[in-house]
Amino acid sequence: MAVLTRRSVLRSSLGLAAAGTLARPYIANAAATTAEVWWTQGFVPEEDAAFKSMVADYEKASGNKIEYSITPYAALRQKEISAITSGVVPDMMEIADFAITPLNAWDNNLVDVNDIVEPMKSQFLQTALDCCYHYNNVTKTRAYYITPMKVAAIPFHIWKSLVEKGGSKISDLPKTWDAFMDFFKPVQKGLRAAGMRNVYALGYQLTANGVDPLNTFNAWMVAYGGKDLVTPDGKLHTDDPKVKEAVIKAIVNLTTPFKEGYVPPGCVNWNDADDNNAFHSKLMVMDFDGTISTEVALYHKKEEYDDILTHGLPLSNEGKELPSQVAVFGPIIPKGAKNLAAAKEFAKYMIQPKVLNEYLKAGLGRWALPIPDMVKSDPFWLKEDPHREAYLTQSVISPTFPIYEAYNPAMAQIGAEHVIMTGCFDVMNNGVAAEQAAGKAFKRMEEIFAKYPIAQS
Amino acid sequence: MTSTVIDIGQPPIRRHSALLRSLRGSLKGSEYTWALAFLVPYIAVFFTFVVYPALYGLWLGSEPSLYTELYSDPIYQSTIVNTLLFLGVGVNLKMFGALLLSGFFMRPGWWVKGLLMIFVLPWAVPALPEFISIHWMLNGEWGLLNNVFYDLFNVDGPSWLNEHWLALGSAIYSHIWKWMPFWTIILLAGRMSIPTEIRDAAKVDGATGIRSFIYISFPLLANLYLICTLLSTIFTLGDFNSVTFVTGGGPANSTHVLATLGIRDAFELAQPRLGVAAVMSALPVMIPLVIILMRKLKTAEVQL
Repeated sequence: MAVLTRRSVLRSSLGLAAAGTLARPYIANAAATTAEVWWTQGFVPEEDAAFKSMVADYEKASGNKIEYSITPYAALRQKEISAITSGVVPDMMEIADFAITPLNAWDNNLVDVNDIVEPMKSQFLQTALDCCYHYNNVTKTRAYYITPMKVAAIPFHIWKSLVEKGGSKISDLPKTWDAFMDFFKPVQKGLRAAGMRNVYALGYQLTANGVDPLNTFNAWMVAYGGKDLVTPDGKLHTDDPKVKEAVIKAIVNLTTPFKEGYVPPGCVNWNDADDNNAFHSKLMVMDFDGTISTEVALYHKKEEYDDILTHGLPLSNEGKELPSQVAVFGPIIPKGAKNLAAAKEFAKYMIQPKVLNEYLKAGLGRWALPIPDMVKSDPFWLKEDPHREAYLTQSVISPTFPIYEAYNPAMAQIGAEHVIMTGCFDVMNNGVAAEQAAGKAFKRMEEIFAKYPIAQS
Repeated sequence: MTSTVIDIGQPPIRRHSALLRSLRGSLKGSEYTWALAFLVPYIAVFFTFVVYPALYGLWLGSEPSLYTELYSDPIYQSTIVNTLLFLGVGVNLKMFGALLLSGFFMRPGWWVKGLLMIFVLPWAVPALPEFISIHWMLNGEWGLLNNVFYDLFNVDGPSWLNEHWLALGSAIYSHIWKWMPFWTIILLAGRMSIPTEIRDAAKVDGATGIRSFIYISFPLLANLYLICTLLSTIFTLGDFNSVTFVTGGGPANSTHVLATLGIRDAFELAQPRLGVAAVMSALPVMIPLVIILMRKLKTAEVQL
């Protein structure tokens, strides 16, 4: 048996250190064609399987290696922020919220992907491109920082059977905004009369969590004519009387049904997926929520899947078509990425129309394809399924505009601070008037916008 | 001449060897090298996992502009009030309840021991499932509590987590429920170490029941109680779970405490430096508490 002496321990330690040093060139060589990628976990397993399949195809075609990890979005968001703060970053990461890109583009923490996006621009939805085009406060210019892969608008999801059980007909759904919302109120009464104690007419997020509340508010505000709250030049227009009126109307018309008992009270504490869960448990007849994750989650339960009606935005009260606000998801490349070339090569591969189309189709079409011509030519999107047809029509074919966060990162902070939803809560629970709540929200918005001045070229 | 040269050269050598001697202690030859070899990993771990993160945190939150930004956030001001309430109400109710219960669990009888076993369960079970269960129980539409109300009295209970005071109260209650058993056990151990002779002598003098508590138990437990309260205040200041998983900081960010606001600022606002600053702003409370605690520990060495 060998005797452990001081010399032998030191000799072994030196040997191990030398072995580690000699092994490094191999790792470095491997890294030249290897990219570390962080991706968001899908809402259904098919989405993750689709990503893995795309990676396998890429590795086979290129000979490169993709070292990926798939993480739920909330955990991924924390991981991404920590990585950028510490400087220890992967080569590519999919955005997990609406704040990370505008704020980090502003701080010059991201690599611009103009060379990836520019050659493909003509094929992509303009709104999708606008969502990726962010301002850099160091270079004082805008550039593409996201590679556009997935677009999403916010449709309505309606239980057809509950509408019928509540004594109304789906075919009677009104075409204009306020009438559309009011349609569900007698349905609630009918359902309660039929013995369903805990059922509500309307479902939407009035919470101070996640990105859904601001999206919800924006849709109502746009319906009342307030689309120009933030303009593409990144300016805030709280001084515009038309915008102010729309904001007040949106606050009133979101909070009044809550106060009247037509919205589940728990919605003030919902997290991102809580409205999906509440809708699935038939707590409400209608839900307003981004993507068709609500439907896709029931894809293998055909009866329930078919019982849902996916519906785009109604017309304005004046009978005009309303544009849908659209968000984009896709990868960003943080500055400090060790394998930049490999990351960019993978991004270029992923946004090839055929590759992207197959990837999104394999994910059951939860995310809309941001390539209008392909959406029209591939029957998968507009012909084979009523949910996808309504969703893609709203997200890609009908008028759209980008989330305000793309115009100015201030809106990312406003969304994350839930400035407007705090105002709504004051109206619902603290007896504050809508005008007063709007005034308080405007004051805070102006303070935040003052931190993000955008130079006009 | 020769003696002068020796006088100049000797003192540094003497000092050097004296330093080495004090570092080596009684270790000789290779023992010293072995001691170093065993010590270095611990020092490395200490610096990597204690010193470096603490310094990195201080550096992250060192910009004065962060504090200006923090104070301009309306949520921060309500968070300070919540934190003080959480500490003031939560810690004192919990500790006083633990003090009383520790007296109860001193009683003889097998059923008291059985009850103690059940009582410590909330502390023994992992916090996350407990707080998530409480969150679900308090749900206004389908939670257990309101369903029981409806079944028993045919009335709908309140939306527990929708109103600021009810929600904050629920978070404080959850914290007390989770941690009171732990402090009860600590104070019970303190009570058990009071010599029985003292109690017996007091009994002879007629001090029983509440008089025994006031004149015997409490004075002897006072130091322990104070130290436990200080420790509990420090722990509670960093309690993230009770608020995050019961109220989620809601409704409308109105029940945040500093520990949860730090995470909200860091990861929801995507401003980690601001998050660190939020947590660091508790230092003016934390540092005096630690100093008082250290002093109490020093003076209370030979007392209960």
